[in-house]
Amino acid sequence: MDYTPQNQKDKKQMLESIGVGNIDELFKIIPNHLKAKDLNISGGKTEQELLNYFLNICSKNKKLISFRGAGIYDHFIPSLVGEIVGRSEFWTAYTPYQAEASQGTLQAVFEYQSLICALTGMDTSNASLYDGATAAAEAALLALRVNSKNRILISSGVHPEYIQTVKTYLENSKAKIEIIPLSDNGRLDKNTVDPLIDDNTAAVVIQSPNYFGVVEDMDALSSAIKSKNSLFVAIVNPLSLGVFKAPGEYNADIAVGEGQVLGSSMSAGGATFGFMAVKKSLEWKIPGRIVGQTTDKDGKRGFVLTLQSREQHIRREKATSNICTNASLNALSACVFLSGWGNVGFSNLAETNISKARYAFTKIKSLDGFKAKFENETFFNEFVIETSKNIKKINKILLKNNILGPLNLSNAGDDFKNCLLFCVTEQRTEAEIDRLVELLAKI
Amino acid sequence: MEKLLNELSSECQPAYGVECDVAKNAQVPENLKRSTPLGLPNIAENDLLRHFTNLSRKNYALSTVFYPLGSCTMKYNPLINERIARNDAFNNVHPYQPIETMQSVLEVMYELEKDLCEVAGMDNFSLQQAAGAHGEFAGLLVISKYFKSIKQKRRKIIVPDSAHGTNPASAHGTNPASAAFAGFEIVPLKSELDGSISLDKLKEVLTPEIATMMLTVPNTLGVFEKSITEISKLVHDNGSLLYYDGANLNAVMGIVRPGDMGFDVMHINLHKTFSTPHGGGGPGSGPIGVKSFLEPFLPVPRVEKKKDKYMLNYKKSKNIGKVKAFFGNFPVILKASAYVKALGGKGLKNVSEQAVLNANYMLAKFKDKVNVPAGNRCMHEFVLSPKTLFKNDVRTIDIAKRLLDYGYYAPTIYFPLIVDEAIMIEPTETESKETLDKFVNVVNKIILEESYQEPQKLKDAPINTPVRRLNEVDAARKPILKWD
Repeated sequence: MDYTPQNQKDKKQMLESIGVGNIDELFKIIPNHLKAKDLNISGGKTEQELLNYFLNICSKNKKLISFRGAGIYDHFIPSLVGEIVGRSEFWTAYTPYQAEASQGTLQAVFEYQSLICALTGMDTSNASLYDGATAAAEAALLALRVNSKNRILISSGVHPEYIQTVKTYLENSKAKIEIIPLSDNGRLDKNTVDPLIDDNTAAVVIQSPNYFGVVEDMDALSSAIKSKNSLFVAIVNPLSLGVFKAPGEYNADIAVGEGQVLGSSMSAGGATFGFMAVKKSLEWKIPGRIVGQTTDKDGKRGFVLTLQSREQHIRREKATSNICTNASLNALSACVFLSGWGNVGFSNLAETNISKARYAFTKIKSLDGFKAKFENETFFNEFVIETSKNIKKINKILLKNNILGPLNLSNAGDDFKNCLLFCVTEQRTEAEIDRLVELLAKI
Repeated sequence: MEKLLNELSSECQPAYGVECDVAKNAQVPENLKRSTPLGLPNIAENDLLRHFTNLSRKNYALSTVFYPLGSCTMKYNPLINERIARNDAFNNVHPYQPIETMQSVLEVMYELEKDLCEVAGMDNFSLQQAAGAHGEFAGLLVISKYFKSIKQKRRKIIVPDSAHGTNPASAHGTNPASAAFAGFEIVPLKSELDGSISLDKLKEVLTPEIATMMLTVPNTLGVFEKSITEISKLVHDNGSLLYYDGANLNAVMGIVRPGDMGFDVMHINLHKTFSTPHGGGGPGSGPIGVKSFLEPFLPVPRVEKKKDKYMLNYKKSKNIGKVKAFFGNFPVILKASAYVKALGGKGLKNVSEQAVLNANYMLAKFKDKVNVPAGNRCMHEFVLSPKTLFKNDVRTIDIAKRLLDYGYYAPTIYFPLIVDEAIMIEPTETESKETLDKFVNVVNKIILEESYQEPQKLKDAPINTPVRRLNEVDAARKPILKWD
């Protein structure tokens, strides 16, 4: 099966029209000594064989009840999302360069941008980036372009893979990256952060809720960043904004984050998308595509890719980023996801996450051998529990019961040696949480 | 005109809802609490379904029309691949699951890496990159780190026709952008009329500071680089490495391998050559392949196989780090894997043969009528330059817009920049002779008949699309980037 429609008769006619005797003549220009031997790749599977082959591979995957997050979350995806992104008019289209023939994608991206701005309280959103980690890296690069400073301060509460990605992206730049430690209560302390910010600080990058689930007091942290004319980069979980302060409210300059929670499946961590929204003053510095509203010849509303002189196909090596393909279909998922809740419903979704996580938190921390790491802090749907039990044993037993247990934080530094990061989304039922607690109690 | 979501919003019962089966307990301190309204629309499910379905119908898509976009390889996206990738057994995998519970994911990745090595003649592949430009960036970081490791200061990259000053460009815009992004300085190299490289000009720019040269083979005019052996020798004798932009790999699978041509690093766009859909602009996937001496520099984690078990190895001492979180765009990787398993080595070779046959067939039908600057033969795509035929102020943009009226997506236009009024056509192997015949007839009709007899029709085009020609100047001058 190779999806080519030409039959022998067609091929013969085509070769005749070209004026060659066989296909090999079309490759005459390639030196003989370079020609490849037969590729050693087995194939030739029929559609049915293919399906069975992959069904067989994934049949090894057990369906697990997840209490694990740390950047990728098990949220419910409404049927409408699958129906819309499953429409071939969306998924088989190209980047909307021919605007008149791409109004579906273009309007959807415009709506996506509007929804992201509404959610974050920011002025301008781009059309999406690859994921949360690269969005954080692009935000740091944006900051470096805006002011001629070269220090980037990153909270150690930022997801470790995001920090690694920022480091990779900045590897050959002049920027110096410094990590700000968290205080004992699992979040940044204004008194630690403020003195670190100097006149040479291009940006301060803070995640809230942070990697350990704790919600940062972004408002309090904002003022010192502003007073030194540094840019405030906020990494946020968009679902949490149904309840918690939005980046626009605490005067962030750039809001970025992982969009998977807005209607994309976990899929081993990708494909997801990253969002980026900025203040109006940074509009021309933003990386990636942006869709704008305009009118057609008859005065009718329409949409086009715009501010394109920032981009690689026009500006080439002077572009704001090299990004071309982004994660449009996942942004469409987010658009469909965000448009069906209403304000009350979306807040209710966020509150349900908090309530269920609290329910689990309260029960787990009162078990023998388990205690809250950050007792009095506010969290969204993740929290850290310290345990005197054997962590490997805990997760082994849970897995035996088809539960994907909390993430072992022993790699997250000495402070987290016997710690577990639990995640409880709206998907988890009371019965599932009770079962988890019951199993933990027996260990 | 389709309303915007905010215009559809009413006080109805919205589409989605959630029930909380434990006591609601979501009090948060005032200083952390959101105080401004969310500003999300309130719309019923039925209306949302209509809204987005109607929007989808305003797209020209590969599933509705021929999409001869040069340089983009808009080939058929097999439905079976989608069916496999939509399986929840794959979609519900968490990236931090215990390794023994995600063997299926690692197996698919491991197998695809192996198969890509065979297609490309490379020793190792990394699947972490999310798109072609992301792959370029990672590949160039690998090169940068390699030279640092052998203590050589090489901070420059040769990009043919990288559009410096007044030189027009043939290389993809992402090439110079990625090079700058990775911290390199760009050295332009003017190519010949057919986009090929002059060895003499190359020698002039090959200084000891050159880290690598980025090449697209076949080039963006659809011409195979006939001096590739000599180029490879010159570049390597200079101590530099050779980088392969895999955007045009669809022309040469099973016929010639980048690794055998002397390339050290390359990227592949799975959303071009390996049939995964473009999704209206992503998600894509841009695996990078390297020769074995560069393997230690690839992003972590690496997927490895020990006995029958797949593992993730984070402990590579020289790695460039991570270029995104987790492992890569897995559903895209999965679809590409299904494609390779369907075709096998033989099928992949047939793909390239048919892609080249289709392109040459179209070229043969055009060449006596419209100027083809790169000659009478091509690989998988070719570029027309109808400039000399234009009268009545007609331009290539008008041809493109008129094609929309005939129910075709327009070819790539005004690229490569070294060709005046370029129309770049890539039919791919999955189009029938009949489709190609009809398209060629329509293009010839527009250029050779309509543009003379009814030029206003071209200027007014498109008229059959959901909107007519859009004012891009106003869009950029007074940007409206969200609803009020």
